[in-house]
Amino acid sequence: MSILNVKVADVEQVTDVVKHFTLVQENGEPLPHFSGGSHVVVSMNINGRIHRNPYSLMGSTANTDSYHISVRKQENSRGGSVFMHEQVKPGSRLQITYPVNLFAISKMGRRHILIAGGIGITPFMSQIADLNRLGYDYELHYAYRSPENAAFREQLEAMCGNRVHFYVESEGGRLDIPDLLSHQPLGTHVYICGPDPMVKALHINARELGWPENHVHSEEFTAPPIGDEFKVQLKQSGVELVVPGDMSMLEAMEEAGIDAPFLCRGGACGRCEQQVLECDGVIMHNDHYLSDAEKASGNSIMPCVSRAKCSRLVLDF
Amino acid sequence: MNTQFKQETFRDDYTYTNSAEAIRRFPFPFAEDEYMYSVNIEMHGEGTGAAGSVFEHGIDVDEHYIAECEDRRIVLDEDPDRYTALPHMMDAQWDMVELMMDSLSKDYPEHFQLQKDGDNWHWVNKPLGIDQTFVFGDEATLPMQPFEYISRQVQGDWIILDQRDDDLFADMGMVTSQADWSMAFDAGMSFKEWHGPVPQANEIGIFDRALKYLLHLQYGSPVRRLNWTMTINPRLDTSPENYPFWGPDNASVTPENVGDKVYLRVELQALFRLPRSNAIAFSVRGYLISLNELITYPRWGKRLHRVLKQLHPDLSEYKGLDNYRQTVIDFLAPLDDGADLGLGTHPE
Amino acid sequence: MERGYWIRSKPLYDSLVWRQFATGHVVVAQGDGGLAVLKLFQQMCPREPIKLLFADDKSASKKYADIIQTLVPEGLQICESEQAALAALKEQLPDCLMGTQFYVAGSEEFIWAVLEVLKEYGVQDNNVAKELCGTLARSVYCVHCKTISKDVHFSIHECDGCRRHLFVRDHFSRRLGAYMGVMVDAEEPGNIPAKEEIYP
Repeated sequence: MSILNVKVADVEQVTDVVKHFTLVQENGEPLPHFSGGSHVVVSMNINGRIHRNPYSLMGSTANTDSYHISVRKQENSRGGSVFMHEQVKPGSRLQITYPVNLFAISKMGRRHILIAGGIGITPFMSQIADLNRLGYDYELHYAYRSPENAAFREQLEAMCGNRVHFYVESEGGRLDIPDLLSHQPLGTHVYICGPDPMVKALHINARELGWPENHVHSEEFTAPPIGDEFKVQLKQSGVELVVPGDMSMLEAMEEAGIDAPFLCRGGACGRCEQQVLECDGVIMHNDHYLSDAEKASGNSIMPCVSRAKCSRLVLDF
Repeated sequence: MNTQFKQETFRDDYTYTNSAEAIRRFPFPFAEDEYMYSVNIEMHGEGTGAAGSVFEHGIDVDEHYIAECEDRRIVLDEDPDRYTALPHMMDAQWDMVELMMDSLSKDYPEHFQLQKDGDNWHWVNKPLGIDQTFVFGDEATLPMQPFEYISRQVQGDWIILDQRDDDLFADMGMVTSQADWSMAFDAGMSFKEWHGPVPQANEIGIFDRALKYLLHLQYGSPVRRLNWTMTINPRLDTSPENYPFWGPDNASVTPENVGDKVYLRVELQALFRLPRSNAIAFSVRGYLISLNELITYPRWGKRLHRVLKQLHPDLSEYKGLDNYRQTVIDFLAPLDDGADLGLGTHPE
Repeated sequence: MERGYWIRSKPLYDSLVWRQFATGHVVVAQGDGGLAVLKLFQQMCPREPIKLLFADDKSASKKYADIIQTLVPEGLQICESEQAALAALKEQLPDCLMGTQFYVAGSEEFIWAVLEVLKEYGVQDNNVAKELCGTLARSVYCVHCKTISKDVHFSIHECDGCRRHLFVRDHFSRRLGAYMGVMVDAEEPGNIPAKEEIYP
C-alpha cells in the first residue's frame, strides 16, 4: 500500500470539539488528486502503538497543494481523536494512505440529495466541490445540535448558496427525512453521513417509499469498539496472537508483524475480510459490509472492527 | 533507452518482426508446463519489473510504437466507433491525459516531453511529430476529445471502467487491437456482462473475487496480469468487426508455414485507479511473437509445446485455436526433449 | 470462438408482481404483454395510484384491450400503437416521483424500448419489473455492419444490412437492446449451418 509522508501545516479550532488540520507533503510536492467523498487513513504513533483512523478529505478536489481533514474529539474512544486534538500541532509529521473513495457521487444520477448529521458533513465538503464543478443538480441538508456546533456553516453558505439547508436541533430545527424523500423526481440519489440511528432511519424511510437500494448511499466508519481479550490463530502464517481488549484484531495482527490487507479500517469496505475456520464462541460483527446472513453464517470476519467472544478463533490467513 | 522505431505493418503485407532485443524481453507467460485460467495479479509500475523488461514502466513503449499508432489510425479511419466515451466520463478522460503524458514523459524523456504551467500544458511527442499546447480541463483546446487524443499516442487497448453500485462499467474505451470483443457492443456493460464468455472461470467464482479486488484497487498502486492467445499473422486488429477479413486466415495454417504464420499473442493487462473520476483504467497491451522467433529460445519452445498439448479443450475453443493447434504441436514436438524445465518464464 | 458458451449478459425476465413499497405504479405493456397485465390485476391491487399504458399489437396471438378495459377501471390509457405507448410514457415521466415502481411486459424489443425511455429519466433497468410475453424473437446487432435486425426468429440469420449469415450469440447489450450476431462462415466461406427456428 502506497503511503504519503505529510506535515501538519495548520491546525484550526472549528468548534469546541472539532479541529481542522491542513496537511502538506513533506517533500513539498503537491498531493495526489482525488474525487469528492474520498478519505485517507492517518497513522498515529501513540506511546509506541500504531493507531490508524480514517478521515474524509474536505477541500477542493481541484487544489491538491494541501489536504484538509477535520477530527471530532471522541472522549470515550481509544485515543486516536484525542491524540489528534492534543498532540498534533503545526509541524507534526504523520503518515497517510493514498485517498480511497467509498462514497462517490453516482454519475448516472439526475439529482443528488446530501444529508449530513454533525461531523458527518466532512465528506460532503469535497463532494460539493465536485458537484459545483460538474454543474450537477444537488441539495445539502445539514443537521447539527446547536449553533456552537455549526462547523463550516459560512463556508457552506458560500459554496452552496441556496442549495444548503440548516437544521439546528437546539433551536427546534428538525430535518423531516420522509418528507424530503417523498417529493423527489425520478433519477434522484440520496447520500447520508451522520450518526448511526440517522443513517439507519434514512435506509428504512427510503425503502418504505419504494426507493431502489442503489439510489441510497451512506458512509459510516465505525471506530473499533473495545471488548474482551481473545486469542487468534492464523493458520497459513502459523502465528498465534492475543487481541487485547483495547486493540482491534487488525491492529493486533499488525503489531505481530503480519502484513494484513486493509483499506478503510471502519468496517465499510470489505477489503480486510478474513475467512473464519474455527470459532468456539461468538463473533461480534461490528461492520457495515457483511450481510446479515453472512454475519450469521460466521464464515468471515472484518478484523478492522469486529471481535470475538471465545477462547479460540482460527483464520485462514 | 535508445529505441529504434521500426517501419512495419500489421496488415496486408505483414512486415512486422521482432528484433533480437524484442524477443529477449518478450513477456512469455508460461511459468509451468500446464496452463490453468487464473487471475494471477501482481503489482505494476515503478520498481516492479527488471530494467529493460516490458514491466519496467507503467506504460511500455517499444520498437513497434510508431507502427502500432499508425495501425490504430487506420482502424479508426475505417471505424470511428472503436473509440467510445459515454458522456459522464469526462473527468476520466482528463485523468487519462494526465496518466499517459506523465508516465511517458517521465519514463522516456528522450521521446516525450511535458511542461506544466498550472493548467497550461505543453506536450511534445517526438516519434509521432506532435507538439501541442493546451489547457488541462478545457476540451476546446485539443483537436479531439482528450482521451481519444492521448490514446492515439500509446500502444495497446484501453478500457476505462466507471465504478458505481459495487460494480465496474465499461463506459469508455479505445479498442483497435482486441482479441475478439467489441467495444461498440460492450460499451456500458457491467464487469460480469462483459466477462461472461470466459469458460469455467465464472463457475469457480474467479470473477466475483476479481471484481471485489478491483473495487478496492488504490490510486498509486496499479496491478497487472498476463493473458494469452494465438493469432494467425501479426495482426493487431483481430476484432469481431473485421472477423470476415481475418477469419479465413485461421484455416490457412500448414506444416510448411506454421512457424512464420502462427503468433503467440501475450496481453499485458494493467489496471490503474484514476484519481479525479475514481474510475479504473484497464490497459490491454498485446505482444506478438512468431513461433520461429519464439523457438530461438529452446526453453520457450519446449514449454509452449507442453502447454498446448495439455490445454483444456474448452479453453482451446474459446481462444480460437482449434483449427491449427495440432499443427503447432506437431511443429514444436521435435524440439521438445522432455527435459525438466523447472519453474519460471525466463528464456534460458 | 463464437459457439456454445453460456454468456451471463443475457437478461433475466420474471412474472410481474406488485411491489410492496411504492409512491405509485406505472405499467407499460404491449401485445401479448396483455396477458401479464391480466395476471397482475388479479393480484390484490396496491393502494397507491396506478397508471396503465397498453397497446395491442397486430402480430400478437390475441387482442387484450377490450378485456383489460373491463378489468382496470382507473388510470388506463389504451394506445394506438407501441410508439404511442412510448410517447404516453414520456409524457408521464416528468411528473413521476422517486418511489414510482415500473412494470413492463411484451416482446423483448418492446421491453428494451421502454427501458431506453426510462433510462433518460435516471431509472435503471435492474430496478424495473420485466415480463417477456409472446414471441421470443430477438433483435440482432450485426457486429460487422452495425445494423440491428428486428424480430429475428432463426439462427442462422441473414443480416438485414450486409446480408452476411450471422450466428446469434447469447451476448446481450442493454444499451443497444440487442444480441450480438457474428458471421458464421468467416473461417470457411460458404460453410453455413442450416437455419433453425430457435426464437419462436
